[in-house]
Amino acid sequence: MQRMALFPGCLVLQRMPQYEKATKRVLTELDVHLENIPHAACCGAPLESFTDRWLHLAAYNLALAERLGRDILTLCGNCTNTLLRAKAALDEPSLRSEVNETLDEIGLRFEGRTTVKHLVELFTGHVEDLREKVTGELSVRVAVTHPCQALRPHEISSFDDPLEPRAMRRIVELTGAEVVDYDAEFDCCGSTLYLADEGLGLEAGRRKLASAAQADVLVDACGNCQLLLERFRPGMGTSAATGRMVVLTLPQVLGLAMGIDPGELGVGPASARELSRRSS
Amino acid sequence: MSERDLDALLEDCTQCGLCREVCIVEALGAHSITSLLCGEEQYSSWLCSSCWRCQEVCPQGVDIHAIIMEMRREEEPPPGHEANLVNVLRSGYALPVDSGVNSSRILHSLEPVQLIPAKWLEILLQGREGGKTRG
Repeated sequence: MQRMALFPGCLVLQRMPQYEKATKRVLTELDVHLENIPHAACCGAPLESFTDRWLHLAAYNLALAERLGRDILTLCGNCTNTLLRAKAALDEPSLRSEVNETLDEIGLRFEGRTTVKHLVELFTGHVEDLREKVTGELSVRVAVTHPCQALRPHEISSFDDPLEPRAMRRIVELTGAEVVDYDAEFDCCGSTLYLADEGLGLEAGRRKLASAAQADVLVDACGNCQLLLERFRPGMGTSAATGRMVVLTLPQVLGLAMGIDPGELGVGPASARELSRRSS
Repeated sequence: MSERDLDALLEDCTQCGLCREVCIVEALGAHSITSLLCGEEQYSSWLCSSCWRCQEVCPQGVDIHAIIMEMRREEEPPPGHEANLVNVLRSGYALPVDSGVNSSRILHSLEPVQLIPAKWLEILLQGREGGKTRG
């Protein structure tokens, strides 16, 4: 059994327990056991625009996982990016020493032993296991949207092409679903932009959904993407087609293809019905 | 940030415009930091989706993220970003994690969130350079 420390991040913790639930359920099938990190905090990303102390918060989370002796699994692009950049920055001896002085006050130490993996990277390392576990073919057309911040910059993330990623597509293809191309596939969803300008963020999301309109399902692997493309969709004035498109997270789609009950994956009855209608 | 610091970060920029070509903000008709890099005066460092595509395509390896972060500390933050900052300073998370969140988690068979102790948060975020944190 592989054990990892789960770092869901603010958004998933607060707004989408379904994503965390589906992740844990599906990874059980792959014999990966996740444990939440007691007393974990924000990755540090929202602080970085204001203060250099973001690095201390990121290092704190890394040190907590290190104390547990676990590598970290992330579900959001932004957390992945921030924790990986912090880890790289802390290679610098004087910075590490400064951060460790602070961590020492709360009985922690950062040694750089914990690795940080996004869910897509973890699944990529378990492709053969996934192939064995997928029992039914999903006869739907799927558009994939990539967790862009987990893939860039390439100096800190190397499991996929940073500009034209393929890893998620290969994972979804295991389900038997037809993965469709669409113009906005590699565009950001706009979720982080929404924080600064709601109208621009929603317009980015609307364009993405409209571009993917030929698909039955849009699949993401990031709390930010799921928030904007699924929860905030009513604010986009989308067309009827994109408005009915089912927006799911990657483990939910994999779980359905494994024959797991939608309820165990946090897939609501309306989405389950729409999926069933589209796949019949 | 001093003009000298900005000049150092921009030293290798040739204003080729590739960053602006791939920027989602620019595609939507607004102006991001990539407009500044192309010599324009109208831009906001806060108008950014944090997708990192600009930096990834830059042939000169300019650290555009560092420029954005430095510029943001001098520009008025949008309310959404400020609210996230205040929440992190209060509870350690950018979004409030209250009893309602934990009830919802329990409904989904997930364990309740254990927040960071307030004293630890204070040590991490204030430390010896407390004055640097706005909000």
